[in-house]
Amino acid sequence: MADRSKMGMEFPTYTMTAEKNKIAEFAMAVALKEEKEGINPIYYDEASANKAGYQGIPIPPTFMSSFGFWTGNGLPEIVKALSIDINRLLHSEEEYEYYGSIYAGDTITRKMRVAEMYERGKRGRLGRFAEVTVLETEVINQRGELIAKVRTTMVER
Amino acid sequence: MAVNFDDVKIGDTIPSYTSGPITRTHLVRYAGASGDFNPLHHDDTFAKMIGLDSVIAHGTLIMGITGEAITSWVENKYLRKMSVRFLSMTEPVDWNDVENTTNRATITVSGKVVKKYEENGEKRIHCSIIAKDALGSRKLDGFFIVALP
Repeated sequence: MADRSKMGMEFPTYTMTAEKNKIAEFAMAVALKEEKEGINPIYYDEASANKAGYQGIPIPPTFMSSFGFWTGNGLPEIVKALSIDINRLLHSEEEYEYYGSIYAGDTITRKMRVAEMYERGKRGRLGRFAEVTVLETEVINQRGELIAKVRTTMVER
Repeated sequence: MAVNFDDVKIGDTIPSYTSGPITRTHLVRYAGASGDFNPLHHDDTFAKMIGLDSVIAHGTLIMGITGEAITSWVENKYLRKMSVRFLSMTEPVDWNDVENTTNRATITVSGKVVKKYEENGEKRIHCSIIAKDALGSRKLDGFFIVALP
């Protein structure tokens, strides 16, 4: 059961590089492709990206979800810090608001905090009751620019 | 073909995009790409222990497929917001029963233009989005906002 006293808690700030190969790997994964040639070349070829109007190889729209997993100790750190029971954990909502772009080679800082914690439904009613935890993450680049906000809603059922 | 603000009308549908069928190998690939190693998505013994019949796809993989659907229509750089609710679980194809499990693992994304407006000096459109499997079960719904030339 999530520890409600963790409301407002800020996780340590972590930094990572948006790696070129990781971007291509992610683009292949969401396109369900086994080889690079099956995906949009902007995700692996800088010349194609430039030609399409990008300053570098951009990230796929949902790539930011991985920042929370590839920094710190990933999901285990998050569930442990909040005393969430992973056996009951489900991802319920995800939202990205984009203010700028991230390109391969950029250094990304993620600042994550517990934005909301509440109960939904009635206790004792199987399938209805859920404990909700909302994490908000600011994604900042190496120039200190806020590039995106990610809002992740998790429930324990 | 590039999409222009003036050519888009409220009520227009966005091109439908079909992906899949999703296999366990796709889930492992996504786990490695995203770093989400929740065993629920690759370890059938864990899934059974918590009362499921099989592993399930990451919600964010279905959202990633939705992102692919959107950026097949408008360029990635025009995306300003994307927001979804996950509605049901997606089980991958069972190789020993492809015939009966392909539809549940095949995802189709569709959407509609809901609003046209100007914000931050940009011409933006707000679209609803929904992903369903080939049995009609809803996987996620939500909306996205793009700025168009």
